[in-house]
Amino acid sequence: MLNQTASKRPLARKLVARIKPNSVISEQYRTIRTTINFSLPGNEMKTLLFTSASKEEGKSTTSANMAVVFAESGKKVLLVDADMRKPTLHHTFNLNNHIGLSNLLVGKGELEQSVRDSGIRGLELLTSGQVPHNPAELLDSPVLDQLVAEMKERYDLIIFDSPPILSVTDSKILANKCDGTVLVVNTGKTEKQSAIKARDSLATSRAYIVGVVMNNYKLSKDHYYSHEYN
Amino acid sequence: MESTFNMKEFFKNLKKRLPLIIAMTVAFVAVAAAVSYLWMKPVYQASTQILVNKAPANAQEFSMQDIDTNLQLISTYNVIIKSPAILTEVINELGLNETVQSLNERIEVSSIEDSQVVTLEVEDGSMQQAVLIANTTAKVFEQEIRNLMRVDNVSILAPATMPASPEPVKPDPLFNMAVGAIIGFMLGTGLAIVLDQLNTTVRTEEDIDELLGLQVLGVVSPVGDLDRTDKPSKHTDRMELDENVEPDSVKTAARPKVGSTY
Repeated sequence: MLNQTASKRPLARKLVARIKPNSVISEQYRTIRTTINFSLPGNEMKTLLFTSASKEEGKSTTSANMAVVFAESGKKVLLVDADMRKPTLHHTFNLNNHIGLSNLLVGKGELEQSVRDSGIRGLELLTSGQVPHNPAELLDSPVLDQLVAEMKERYDLIIFDSPPILSVTDSKILANKCDGTVLVVNTGKTEKQSAIKARDSLATSRAYIVGVVMNNYKLSKDHYYSHEYN
Repeated sequence: MESTFNMKEFFKNLKKRLPLIIAMTVAFVAVAAAVSYLWMKPVYQASTQILVNKAPANAQEFSMQDIDTNLQLISTYNVIIKSPAILTEVINELGLNETVQSLNERIEVSSIEDSQVVTLEVEDGSMQQAVLIANTTAKVFEQEIRNLMRVDNVSILAPATMPASPEPVKPDPLFNMAVGAIIGFMLGTGLAIVLDQLNTTVRTEEDIDELLGLQVLGVVSPVGDLDRTDKPSKHTDRMELDENVEPDSVKTAARPKVGSTY
């Protein structure tokens, strides 16, 4: 018990919306939540994919924090780690990764038994499961469609964290199946050309791109976001 | 790679780098001013005019042919003035501590087309010295030409004079500063373009809008900024955290391991 709590601290640091709910960053996530809510065509958007052009742009951090703030707003949220190549969700919430999405996709286990409690009211988690050798094929199977349909019945919002769109095809498949896709951009790191390519790949996957989250955005002192309100 | 040159974009980028361009311009003007006023030594110029015209032996026989002859001679004289024959004499007479070559570089001989007047200009760090050299050169030339050409057709028309307040011809600080401003502006603009070309990353919300045509949902500050911007968490927050976050062990302990092999 003691060891677990100790090891949890550095891992959970990314989960800003949880550990520092009053911080500017948490407020920024809430702003994004509001913008997404207003961007929805109607109210039918139930599956939301977070992806980025390249690796390490902040997909997992953003999707985890967004899941937290969406849960905060009273939605019943499921956060799915669809990055079956480099899964991270179980690290963020300090879980094991014995069962998860990959297991469900090969027909092992039930959704109800596979989801995990996040410890946050309204937020449940589905880790990636053990790393399969054919993630793209698994995602492309009709099993995923059934699974998503089942998720939609049980949850108000399903957030998928996914691999980089320019590296592997997984995100394109997912983007096609999700109601909306959010592109995460690492400010000052993401190449413009990569961002354009990412957008174009999403367009060819017929994804609905909700918009862009600019991660690692250094605020200037007089920036309108930077002042704490309370 | 898509590379369309967009004028509007170009000026927008320049506008973004305006401080850099202004700084470069100001810096170059400052350097030009400093060099002009502090480092460059002033150079003064004295000029004397020499008339090349031989009074004909017979005043009634003054003809166009004489003038033509004189004009043709002028180009020869222009060379002779700057020849060592003259300049060595000038150096000796004035006791100058320099070579014929260096003196030659400071002397400019010119004549307006079809005119019999030759202008001799001398540059020197001192106005007085410039006047002296100009007049001595003219005088020596006038004397020597008799020996060299065996003619006596050169007379000093207007000797160089010492003005009351001599103005240096070089450096021209205003001109230098103007050149500095132009160079600084061009370098600044060039640097701005290079910097912009070098940085091909997404940096601003405008980039997203222009490049992707997508909506910016929001921005997220680096987590590193958290410590700076965040207040220490309040007691009530910590209580809430303790209440809601359960130890994972409770949830995962009883769960069977599924799907260990594919």
